[in-house]
Amino acid sequence: MGFILNPLYNAVSGVIVFIHKLLSPVFGANSGVTWSLSIMGLVVIIRIILIPLFVKQIKSQRALTALQPHMKAIQKKYKDDRQKQSEEMMKLYKEHKTNPLASCFPILAQAPIFFALFTVLNGIAAKTPEGVSAPIARGFLKGEYLDSAAQATFFGAKISQSFLGSTDTTVKIVTVLLIIFMSGTTFTTQRQLMVKGMPKMDSSNNMMLQQQKIMLYLFPVIFAISGVNFPVGVLIYWSTTNLWTWGQQYYVIKRNPTPGSPAYEELQRKRAHKEKADGKAIEGIDQDEATEAEVQGQRQQPKKKKKKK
Amino acid sequence: MRKALTALVRAYQMATSNFAPRCKYYPSCSNYAITAIGRYGLKGLAMAAGRLVRCNPWSQGGVDYVDEHLDCADVKNLLTNSEKEVVGAN
Repeated sequence: MGFILNPLYNAVSGVIVFIHKLLSPVFGANSGVTWSLSIMGLVVIIRIILIPLFVKQIKSQRALTALQPHMKAIQKKYKDDRQKQSEEMMKLYKEHKTNPLASCFPILAQAPIFFALFTVLNGIAAKTPEGVSAPIARGFLKGEYLDSAAQATFFGAKISQSFLGSTDTTVKIVTVLLIIFMSGTTFTTQRQLMVKGMPKMDSSNNMMLQQQKIMLYLFPVIFAISGVNFPVGVLIYWSTTNLWTWGQQYYVIKRNPTPGSPAYEELQRKRAHKEKADGKAIEGIDQDEATEAEVQGQRQQPKKKKKKK
Repeated sequence: MRKALTALVRAYQMATSNFAPRCKYYPSCSNYAITAIGRYGLKGLAMAAGRLVRCNPWSQGGVDYVDEHLDCADVKNLLTNSEKEVVGAN
């Protein structure tokens, strides 16, 4: 396994040490703030790398509107055969080189990094059987960095310690707070998507909605169970990534919502309102109501074109 | 071992079901894995791993069965229909 994992350790620890070097002059080399921000920086870098994939996905989802009639036809034609229906649907997506469904890659891509970070941080926390601290160096996190990281704290809790592996009350309080924060962000992200971000549900989707509701309340439990085993540093990573997901979704729902969702209608209303205020009221409403107006030879309207994408 | 692996995949499916069917392939990677492991055991596991690699943002997705000639809807329909005919004949 070493030959697969060592590069990962190198990458994770390399990024952390690099950010640490950048921030040391500002917050001090041994400051917990520097080390915490280094971990958060790692998250930010990973998530920025993943943004193009996310954008591609959204575009693909939006392209679906054009396929809507085809999809309805397929649903009607094979309404008694779920399997055939799915097959034809997939063929349709492929034919039009779009696929609204995400591949598992963006999530899976994070798993090895998560695991590597876990190992690197656990290495910091390693102890001899007698209980004497004996950090294990992994990747670039060695020597003085290792010693410094082993002592670094996040709100008074050592980033290398976990809820179950420590008797320190501060560590316990900080881990619990982080777990609550993680659950909170996931909960709001999920709820935001359910309430505002999705096209209005028809009855066939009700079961899905039901499942989502169950998961909404199950997630905090999962976090609580797994979170007590993880070092504070990993929890920082996890919290940051959750917060990022929330922010990303908030931005998309606010600025570029899925057509048909409540957020989309809200945005449309807002835009119509704004255009009215700008004195383009009549034109604006015309555009909204007569979507096919362009086909009839109305003059080109660049703004409208953009929406059609 | 097959049962253990299948149980693992099932657990994954239950844990992630809130994201709805998410795979760009049909059947989904997890369902593919269950079929493959059930049919081929260890080799099936490797096949499932291959499918996971194929399921990336640069692939088109689409219909991808473990065994096209055994699993696709048309074959299944043919089987059920012929059974019906037999029932009818009796």
